[in-house]
Amino acid sequence: MSGFEPKIIAFLCNWCSYVAADAAGVSRLAQQPNVRVIRVFCSGMVDPGYVVKAFASGADGVLVAGCHPGDCHYIAGNIKALRRARLLEKLLHELGVEKGRFRLEWIAASESPRYVQVINTMCDEIRRLGPFAKPAGQADPAVSVASQT
Amino acid sequence: MPKKTIAVHTATGCRTCELALLDIHYQVQRLHRLADIVYWPYLLGSQHTDLARLDAIDVCFFAGAVRTSGERRMAEQLRAKSRLLVALGACAGFGGMPGLANLVKETGPLQAAKSADAPLDPTLELPALEPQVASLTQVVAVDYVVPGCPPTQNLVWSALQAVLGEAGSQAHLSYAAGRLPKKVAQAMASGVPPPRGTVFAGEKAVCASCSRVKEQKRFESVKRPYQAYESTGRCLLEQGLVCSGIATREGCGGLCTGAGIPCRGCFGKPEAVYDPGAKMVAAISSTFDAEKPQKIDAVVEQFLDLAGTFYRYTLPTQCALLNIQEKG
Repeated sequence: MSGFEPKIIAFLCNWCSYVAADAAGVSRLAQQPNVRVIRVFCSGMVDPGYVVKAFASGADGVLVAGCHPGDCHYIAGNIKALRRARLLEKLLHELGVEKGRFRLEWIAASESPRYVQVINTMCDEIRRLGPFAKPAGQADPAVSVASQT
Repeated sequence: MPKKTIAVHTATGCRTCELALLDIHYQVQRLHRLADIVYWPYLLGSQHTDLARLDAIDVCFFAGAVRTSGERRMAEQLRAKSRLLVALGACAGFGGMPGLANLVKETGPLQAAKSADAPLDPTLELPALEPQVASLTQVVAVDYVVPGCPPTQNLVWSALQAVLGEAGSQAHLSYAAGRLPKKVAQAMASGVPPPRGTVFAGEKAVCASCSRVKEQKRFESVKRPYQAYESTGRCLLEQGLVCSGIATREGCGGLCTGAGIPCRGCFGKPEAVYDPGAKMVAAISSTFDAEKPQKIDAVVEQFLDLAGTFYRYTLPTQCALLNIQEKG
């Protein structure tokens, strides 16, 4: 996997995470250039369909980032994002998508070092996982146990 | 005008779609006047040799998913001989419940069966399993899809009328005009087959024809249909039941939800929905109210088998992640 460069789609909320990403650039913090940023008005507007479509269109990882709980510009949009993310993670896991390809993070406007750290760790992790391929399904534990007896 | 010829075949399926073809009330008497049935193993005991003798068939109703090489050959043979090929039911149209096999890696019993010792009768040769379960629509070109598990009476009858080029009665025409896409209604009124690729169902989601009331209320905990809930009146999703209505094509008239059973999604997704699983995740997560991460996790933990529920009838065809083309 020497030549593999991951493509990561990042949905960043306009009020916190996007500002952090902007500030990270202005402050010249070193970050891996594998991220395509999409600015959204709130992490709560990122429909699970966007995430699935990103994977289906060739993304190797998807990051959704919003304000810390309690700081949402729209009061509770990030909590909505959290509810969706938990359910979506469960669905992706059942379909056989590796953990770590989809992440929800809280990054405040002042936390540009944290933004850089999230991006870099995510890039490293996905580089380790390799390109996103059609999930091959899950080895069902119940089935495997039945076959052994 | 000579009568049209019909063939009916089921691959991997339960044959209820074949029964649905007969479950058309008194119209079943007219079926014989409209068409000659030339091949129907379930009803007439037709053999493969009967099919080999036929030169051409006007309309073939094919039910069931394609699981083995034998079924693939059968699908190709029927496609070659039929002027119109209709995918009947969710299995032929979208992969159906047999398609859920694609969720599981090939370990355990399936592999064991493949590598098992020779069959008891060595003259028998079992057809090989395909690597993945496919719908009929993924194997050959299909003219029409009649969705449902099984397709409902009215849809079966309107499909029969439309593909046999038989203008329907007033009552059926008004049904078609009210419930079915415009092109199907026009086809039925004119007696000309509808354009290729038509799905014999509505265009919106089941919620559009569901009789239940949405109150913008949130549920606290997930319920399953055997538990107590209000079987009349309120939206089932808002009561905590996993109802796939919002990610499912209408046309059934909300039969299940009307009887208090959550929608199971047998009509596949409407055109406007990108991925039924993602749509259901969005719908469910905006219908429960938990705010603390622990509480959210507790609710999410109560959902069982999300993939099997959201893609219950459509995994091989409509799950966006399992249908990714290999990167070139």
